[in-house]
Order: sequence, then C-alpha cells, then structure tokens
Amino acid sequence: MKLTLRTLKYTLMLLLAAASLLPIIWMVFGSFRPYQELFKYSSSLSPHILIPVEFTWKNYQNVIFSTRNPFLRFIGNTLWVAGAVTAAVLLINSMAAFAFAKLRFRWKPALFALFMSAMIIPGEVTLVPNYLLMHDLGWLNSYKALIIPSMLSVFGIFMLRQFFAEIPDELLEAARMDGASLPRTFLSVVLPAAVPALITLGLMTFLGNWDSYLWPLIVINDHKMQMIQVAIAAFSSTEGTDWSRILAANTISTVPILLLFLFLQRYYIQGITMSGIKG
Amino acid sequence: MELRTAVPAAQPKKTVSRFHRHERRTAAGFLLPALLLLLVFVFYPMVQAVVISFQNYSLVGSKPSFVGLDNYVALLSDRNFYSSLKHSFYFALVVIPLQTALSLGLALLIQKPGRLSGGLRTIYFIPVIISTGVAATVFKLIYNKEFGLLNTFLKALGLPVTSFLSDPETAMNGVIGLGIWKAAGFFMIIFLAGLNNIPRDLYEAAHVDGASRLQQFRSITLPLLKRTMAFVVIMTTIDAIKLSGLVFVLTNGGPNGSTETVVFYIYKLAFQQMQMGYATAAAFVLFAIVLLISLIQMKLFKEEQ
Repeated sequence: MKLTLRTLKYTLMLLLAAASLLPIIWMVFGSFRPYQELFKYSSSLSPHILIPVEFTWKNYQNVIFSTRNPFLRFIGNTLWVAGAVTAAVLLINSMAAFAFAKLRFRWKPALFALFMSAMIIPGEVTLVPNYLLMHDLGWLNSYKALIIPSMLSVFGIFMLRQFFAEIPDELLEAARMDGASLPRTFLSVVLPAAVPALITLGLMTFLGNWDSYLWPLIVINDHKMQMIQVAIAAFSSTEGTDWSRILAANTISTVPILLLFLFLQRYYIQGITMSGIKG
Repeated sequence: MELRTAVPAAQPKKTVSRFHRHERRTAAGFLLPALLLLLVFVFYPMVQAVVISFQNYSLVGSKPSFVGLDNYVALLSDRNFYSSLKHSFYFALVVIPLQTALSLGLALLIQKPGRLSGGLRTIYFIPVIISTGVAATVFKLIYNKEFGLLNTFLKALGLPVTSFLSDPETAMNGVIGLGIWKAAGFFMIIFLAGLNNIPRDLYEAAHVDGASRLQQFRSITLPLLKRTMAFVVIMTTIDAIKLSGLVFVLTNGGPNGSTETVVFYIYKLAFQQMQMGYATAAAFVLFAIVLLISLIQMKLFKEEQ
C-alpha cells in the first residue's frame, strides 16, 4: 500500500516535470530541424516527434543574419534597456530605502506612506496619460521612454528597507567614528552588506524588463529599435509559415535568460518569497 | 535612536546637531530621485487619468473637450466592454481554483527535502521565466489542430482532436491552459514559503495523537496556510483580470473577439481607435472592480480565520 502510494507520487512528479519542460525542449529541438521536417513526424507518437532526423543550424543562420529581422539587434536593444533600468533601479531605490531605514528626517512616515500608496495604482490606469507624457516630452520611439519611467520600484524600496533595517546600527556608528560621511557609509558599509538583496531585486527587475511587452509595443514604432518580446510576436505573425525559424528565434532569446536564472535562482526565488510574505 | 546615544559624552553638543543636519541633507538628497520619479511618472499621470477620463480625447483630430460623465455612461451600455469583462472573469473563475490547487499540489509534492525535490523545484519553476512572447508562440504551435503536439497526445490517448485556438467556444480555454502552465510554478514558491512557516512540532504532536496524513492536512496545513492562500487567491484574481500579454501573442483577441480581455479592449480603444478618454474611463472601471474584489477577498479570508 505504502509502496504504491510512493510510486504514484513519483509518477505524478515526473509527469508534471514533463509537462513543464516538454514545450521548451520541443522548442529547442524544433529549432534544429529543417522546416519540411518539423511537422512530418508529428502525427504519431515516436521519438522523432522531438528528436530531429536531419540536424541543421540553418534556422539560426537565417535568424541571426536576417536583415529584416535582426534578432541579435533586438537582443542587444533589450539587453541595453533591461541593463540600464536594472542599474538605475538598484541605485535610486537603495538610496531611498537607506533614507527610510536608517536616517532621521521630517515627515518620514508620511513620505513612506506616499511611496507605498503607489503600489495600488495599476499601470492600466496610467497607461494613456503616461503615453501622452512621453509624447509631450518627445520621448516616443526612444529608449528614454522605456528606461526612465521604469527606474522607480516602490516594491524595491519596500524590500530593501526591510533588509537595511536589519543591518546593526553599531556598524553605521563605527563608520561615523571613523569620520565617514553618510553617503560614504552607504557606499562602503550598507551596500556591501546588502548584496544578496540587491541581486534579488536586480534579477527581478532585469527579467521583468526582458519580458515587457505592452509598453514597448506602444512607445516604440521603429522596428529596428524594438524589444525582443514584441519582435518575436511580430515575427511569428508575419512569418506565420516558417515555424522552425520562429523556434530558433525563440531559443536564442530564451537561452540567456535561462542561464541567468539557473545561476542565480536562489536569489530570484528569495525575492518571490518576500513578495509573498508582504501580503 | 542608537546613533545619538553612542556619541561620546565628551564631545560638544554642536557636533550632534551638525551631524543631524548632515543626516537630514543626506536623506533629502537620497530621496529626491525616487520622489521625482514617483511624482512625474505615477502621481501626475494618475491625476491626468482622472481628467482625461472626463474628456473626449484623441491624439489625432480635434482638441480634447470636456464631456463630464459621458464616457462612464457610455461604458454602461457598451456591449464590447461587457463581453471583454465576461472573458476576463471567465478566465479568472476557471484559473483561480485550478491554479491554486495545482500550485499547492506542486508545493506539497516537493516540500520534503529529498534527492529529487531541488531539481524538480527548478523544473516546475522554469515556465515562469520563459517570456510571454516565447511561451505564447510555442503554445500556438502546440495547440495546432493538424500537427500540434497536444493533439498528437490526445489522439494517442484516444481522445477527440480539437482546434484549441480557432474555435470561439474553446479559444479561451487555450489561453487558460497557457496561463496556468506559465504561472503555477510562481505560486508554488509562495506556497512552499507558507508551508515552511508551519511549525514542525504541530505535525509531530498530531502524529502522536494518531491523526492520519489527511487529517493533518485538513486541520493543520490548510488552516495555517490561510494567509498564504489569501495572498495567492488575490494575486491570481488580479493577474487574471489584468490579463493581456498572453492574449496579444497567442490569439490577438480572436477568433471573433472571443479572447478579448478587458486590458486588451482598453489597449484597442486607446491605441487603435484613439479614444483615449473613453479607454481611460474603462481603465478606472477596471481598477474599481479589481479593488472591490480584493477588498471582498481580504475580508472573507479574515473572517474565516
């Protein structure tokens, strides 16, 4: 009885793992197949439903060297935007979090409440006015529209503040005794002590920006400047027939993010757990 | 605060006040960039949104004109708005129970540290980091009637083959399938954190008292997971009602508008039909609905405790 229950449990676990991974494995393998082969073996269950018969790099060549859909360019655009946003988010919000966690100043509770109240304002409501603001500033179709409004992370301030609050005051005092100014203390005492929290927030911000779709779709209209998600979606609807090429483009845009996650998953998961505790 | 008392008594008081001034100045400087961003990109647009929602506002054509409550009144009789709400709610009502059960199940399966659990946790989580655009294009293909992977499996199991995305009756279910595949791992992590917060000795005591596994689950795990459960249900509801990205890529609202969700409709109004005032009014209605639902849910979960 106990044994069958355990077998059942493990079967279930493996089936769910297969369901999680199969679409991705199929995508990666599919990207190495010639177009004619992709659907040839798909009507019945056989190993070739997944594994290529004739292995080819051609889809990748087509995708990478395409002039109409330069995927490396799209990835470069996205890396630049996501990287810039991440760096700015870390700097700006850790500074604010430090002020809220460790400094004394007037109206602190009121200001903190003001920041936190922004968490309930949904992006959908401010979508149109923010677009009009970009229009008025002349930022449409430039990376400023993608980078600058994204540099604030109220959640980041909240999370880092919790983290900074746990840094013992004695550490800050010691720095002060040594004659360090507060900005100096922030840079050489507080930030180094908070590296795990910074990695957590950085990773969440970077992945969030890598995945952003609606905002780039609205503010960027030069195809060459587009972000990777919008580019992939546009590619798959115009090249509707050349699926193996679409799979290659998908794979190229997934691998960097997958590697980043696998190396740093501990921090990313920590961040999600923290957002759950908040509720 | 510690900082003040730690200053040696021998030092003159002047240093304290000078430090305090330094502290206040640092705070102001450190808060300024975040505060500016908050005012310019959150609060100013929020105020603007209120104003725009009372206007007839189009980027092309005539100047914005004040129309009072007209936009809101028009929404009351907008059939397309109602059906987009209906699609969003259908998605939410199906996804909430299925996804909550699945993610709690995943968490329970891998909760015990074992040889497999670490690796499986990563595997179950991978769909979460797969980008929306990528996941949706791959699923478009997997759902395909003639040569999609899913139909091949269905056929092998002797089940009828379906065209998931081209039939208006079933297209939303296709979106739901992808939505759950992509998000279950996220909520699994939240449930894992909740499960790990339950003290071990409760289970030991129950075990000593002869409670079965099922009884332990019902009278320890579930009640103590209430807070986590509330968070998961509220988050899932909000995500479901705000669904748009997946729909954009997977079905583009079709076939026949059957997968048009509220946010998709708002986007269409604002950026395809250029009815920006009307779209913003719709966004406010959506905001009110989301707020109301989460307030009700919070109250319900509190009362049950």
